[in-house]
Amino acid sequence: MNAQSALSLRGVRKSFGSIDIINGVDLDLVPGERHALIGPNGAGKSTLFHLISGQLGLSAGEVFLGNQKISGLPPDRVNHLGLARSFQITNVFPGLSVFENLRLAVMRQHGLQYVFWQSIARRTQVTRETRELLERLRLANRASTLASELSYSEQRSLEIGMALASRPQVVLLDEPMAGMSREETDYAVDLIRDITRGKTLFIVEHDMDVVFGLSDRISVLVYGRIVATGTPDEIRSNPVVKEAYLGEETA
Amino acid sequence: MDSRIILGAIIVLALVLAPAVLSPALVNAGIQMLIASLFACAFSLLCGQAGMLSFGHSAFFGVGAFATVHAMNAVGGAGLLPTPFMPLVGAVTGLLVGLVAGWFATKRTGVYFAMITLAIGELLYSLAPHLGGWFGGEAGVSTMRMPAFGLSFGSNVQVYYLTLAWVLLCLGLLYLFTRTPLGRVALGLRENTRRLRFLGYNVHMASVLVFAVSTMFAGVAGALQAINIESANYVLFNLDLSAEVLLNSYIGGVTFFLGPAIGAALMTFFGYVVSDLTTSWLLYKGLLFVAVMLFVPRGIAGLVQTVAASVRRCGFGALAASFVLHGVAAALLACGTVFSVEMLQRIFSQDYLSLARLGGKAWPAISLFGESWRPLAAATWLVPLVLFAIGLLVLREAMRRWRAAIEAATRGSDEANDPAVASGAST
Repeated sequence: MNAQSALSLRGVRKSFGSIDIINGVDLDLVPGERHALIGPNGAGKSTLFHLISGQLGLSAGEVFLGNQKISGLPPDRVNHLGLARSFQITNVFPGLSVFENLRLAVMRQHGLQYVFWQSIARRTQVTRETRELLERLRLANRASTLASELSYSEQRSLEIGMALASRPQVVLLDEPMAGMSREETDYAVDLIRDITRGKTLFIVEHDMDVVFGLSDRISVLVYGRIVATGTPDEIRSNPVVKEAYLGEETA
Repeated sequence: MDSRIILGAIIVLALVLAPAVLSPALVNAGIQMLIASLFACAFSLLCGQAGMLSFGHSAFFGVGAFATVHAMNAVGGAGLLPTPFMPLVGAVTGLLVGLVAGWFATKRTGVYFAMITLAIGELLYSLAPHLGGWFGGEAGVSTMRMPAFGLSFGSNVQVYYLTLAWVLLCLGLLYLFTRTPLGRVALGLRENTRRLRFLGYNVHMASVLVFAVSTMFAGVAGALQAINIESANYVLFNLDLSAEVLLNSYIGGVTFFLGPAIGAALMTFFGYVVSDLTTSWLLYKGLLFVAVMLFVPRGIAGLVQTVAASVRRCGFGALAASFVLHGVAAALLACGTVFSVEMLQRIFSQDYLSLARLGGKAWPAISLFGESWRPLAAATWLVPLVLFAIGLLVLREAMRRWRAAIEAATRGSDEANDPAVASGAST
């Protein structure tokens, strides 16, 4: 494996019964880069994210976070080692306030999982970090609103914020802009650019403006295989990609 | 916030002063109410806050009670601990048994979790009569309260104060628990375990701990019961008790901290009063539960919250008439229900059958509420029908007035807020 990689996939395979969803993916993410994963519907992008984050087990292959092998570990261990993810379908705590949602996300980083002998309010560091995160997500005025009562794009911001609260080195965002209007998307791109600074970002997104504007490198996944990896310009001019994916849309 | 503290202080003061004015029988009922309140709050930590519906919580209540009885009988009857500290035995037992049972039960969620807890409860219920050494067979195990620290614990007033002190202490601890990190994680367990897992939490371990905290306090409630009645019997493990704590908690409002305590206290008192008056008291309890679930699904505490919010918005004056009408409607509907239930209960009773046979008349008159009613007369059944009809009409009027008051207040506040909204949008 490559010692400089932030995240490294080696021969990753996944099959459900006799159907191969992921057919041997090798990929290295450079620390600090913003890397997009694109591909037609059903290519296996979300499945790949599930495999990396520990939600699904691999059929074959290995995943490394830095030097640490993370394939085979449960999601909470993977998260604790420094990889966080957001979900395509908003996945927050609907009946809790925005503040409480973020505090639960921040709290874990302070080793406060099973603590029952101390009031959470006394951990001022947790409260401060939660407030800071609220500010950065521009949700400060919604702190006491229930997550279920937020607008859709606010929920998406919260979703991203919860992934980032654990101060991960690597962040996986699964279609963060899905279902957003043009303005909301622009706003979310700004937000992502801002709060993932210094982290390695791996993002699945269908909005090509976002993908080509935001990423340093792009990988194209088709039928469970990566057919190309490169800078946005390289990808734009790659004939295989044009044929397999972009061609369908530009035609 | 301040008004809440004052209200709490008044309630505590009333509870402290209560034995001075209550008859011994009512003091006894008070002890039962306190124990039921603690049990319901322990149950609701699991069910209301962590979203895990347990159908077998009487197991931990019972285990706490039996452990306490054995501890009281230990050392040749002198007791393992001085009597006031006996609930600690229930706490430790509840905690340990809860850790083991919880480890298995929380491997699954939702219906499966409920089924496992039900199975654990039923397992104890069917095993207990056969384990004579531990559970004393069908007769149970009895014990005696020993004097300690100059107190004899012979009168039920002393037991009342012992129970009150422990219940207040435990409710305080349970409340503080909700403010701790683990208490917050419990809310996350209820809301979304998947998200919790991806935030780096060990969901199973957190569930086991919350489960064990709940069973620990259930064990204390069981211990207090053992101290109070100086015995423990395997019927403690019966599903009845598990069902009762569940019903009490939902009637009170399972997601509110003190809701279950209120529900349990009221329902225990209701049982105490009504079971003396009528043999159909369980039916009334059931009817009350159904009525609460149908019309105020968030329970008594939820109702209080809604009403308080409405009063704040509209002012008490605007709603006063509606309050009175709601009260009148409830009274009329209750009277209609009671009349029907009591009448039917008497008609279908064994006694009535014998009476008819002995008297030689097919439908002898029934005496109820100091009157004689003929079961086949239209006038008899007109009574409940009229009560229901008037009750429903009054209820409709009460609800209409309520809505009108709310609408008036909403219109008023909209007009008042309009300029603010406009300026907010322009910035």
